[in-house]
Amino acid sequence: MIVTVTLNPAIDEEYLVPEFRPGGWFRASKVQRTPGGKGINVSLVLKQLGLETAAMGFLAGFSGEYIRDVLRKAQITTNFLHVRGETRTNVYIVDEVGKVETGLAEPGPYISEDEIARFISNYERILKRTSLVVLGGSLPPGIPQDFYCELIRIARQRDIPTFIDAAGAPLLAALDEGPTYAKVDQRFMGSYEGVTLNSLDNLIEAVTRVHALGVEWVIASYRTYGNVFFTPEGIFLAEFDRKGIVSMFGSGESLVAGLILSGKEGMDTKERILFGMAAALENALHVEKGVRNRVAVEKLIPRISFEKLS
Amino acid sequence: MQICEVMDRDLTALSPDTTLSEAIEVLTRHRVSGIPVVDPSGRVLGFVSEKDIVKAALPGYFDYLQDPSFIPDYGQFQKRLKKIGQDPISKVMAKDVVSFSEEDSDFYVAITLIRNHLKRAPVVRDGILVGVVNRADLLERIMMEEEPPSFA
Repeated sequence: MIVTVTLNPAIDEEYLVPEFRPGGWFRASKVQRTPGGKGINVSLVLKQLGLETAAMGFLAGFSGEYIRDVLRKAQITTNFLHVRGETRTNVYIVDEVGKVETGLAEPGPYISEDEIARFISNYERILKRTSLVVLGGSLPPGIPQDFYCELIRIARQRDIPTFIDAAGAPLLAALDEGPTYAKVDQRFMGSYEGVTLNSLDNLIEAVTRVHALGVEWVIASYRTYGNVFFTPEGIFLAEFDRKGIVSMFGSGESLVAGLILSGKEGMDTKERILFGMAAALENALHVEKGVRNRVAVEKLIPRISFEKLS
Repeated sequence: MQICEVMDRDLTALSPDTTLSEAIEVLTRHRVSGIPVVDPSGRVLGFVSEKDIVKAALPGYFDYLQDPSFIPDYGQFQKRLKKIGQDPISKVMAKDVVSFSEEDSDFYVAITLIRNHLKRAPVVRDGILVGVVNRADLLERIMMEEEPPSFA
């Protein structure tokens, strides 16, 4: 089984506003409320692609109950620890005309040491039947910045591969522990070890350094619709054009889910990248987060440009 | 219909050495009436419900009372509950657990729950916890389902 860890889940509220600008008062033409947090998103997309996962982390209050309820109805296995406080709500405003997204995130509930210890014991229990761990997103208050390190270490002791999709200090700390896969999002991380993540050359330098830490696959976003993949087979660039794109919201997690599913099915590196990118593109073609189904994803593979960089 | 279609795939569980006070906290936070007790690999060892905890904290003479209204207040109950608060749940949990497998039919599960006066029971695969079945969820499902064809 694949386990996704979301330590700081959220309700994602996405508002579509025809022309949004700060300081004004607007009516949304459409509102979308979904459970969120990177790990949960990956679980939901993998379910849409037909793969079972178990989602774990911390939930709190009414928002936490809502998330659990949606996951339950989607028949996703859950093992969340319910804590005091309230799970956060993240607000995204999509400007339909300017095609600009604005986001606002809350910090999340405080997690005590006792609760961390309880989480670890749940994590160790579930690892007994786990084939891959996906760690995603920010850390709620109370969780130490190097917590992902510990989770990667515990998984590695049991020979279980890990996939981390995070940003900032928690990601930097986790990289030292050598996860199997790491996704570095340029939007949330401007630079890595002094290398600005803007030009292609700089990105290649950064992913090469990350790879040297023992990370087999490094995925770094490049421009708006592309990613650089450092894989055991070489460095590749894959991109898609902006035709028909409505919202990139959740596309990163669809990419992660696509890479996981294709890896599980034994596809080769190129096929995995194409499938993952097609999942990301499919996610971007509608306001709804996630992908419609596998067939819809496969249809988009011809739209992905693929280039070997070295 | 198989029970895997109705069950709650939640793996919330306690270890046998969890204290009663922690178990009470988990029961209230998760808003459930009972939780499976498992070993480190997820194998179901028992089931602890609020009923088991209440029973453990009631004074020994309670069973001899014809009517609970003979008890003037819950002072004694509270005293006992606090006293046993640090005890492990293995002391009070039901060890003879009624559990189901994912392939069990909803009808079989419903009958078994009624027969054993249970609200919740674990669903296992090779002894390992994979979910929980609730009486209320079953009721909802039966209510929503189309009526079976009548042969009358």
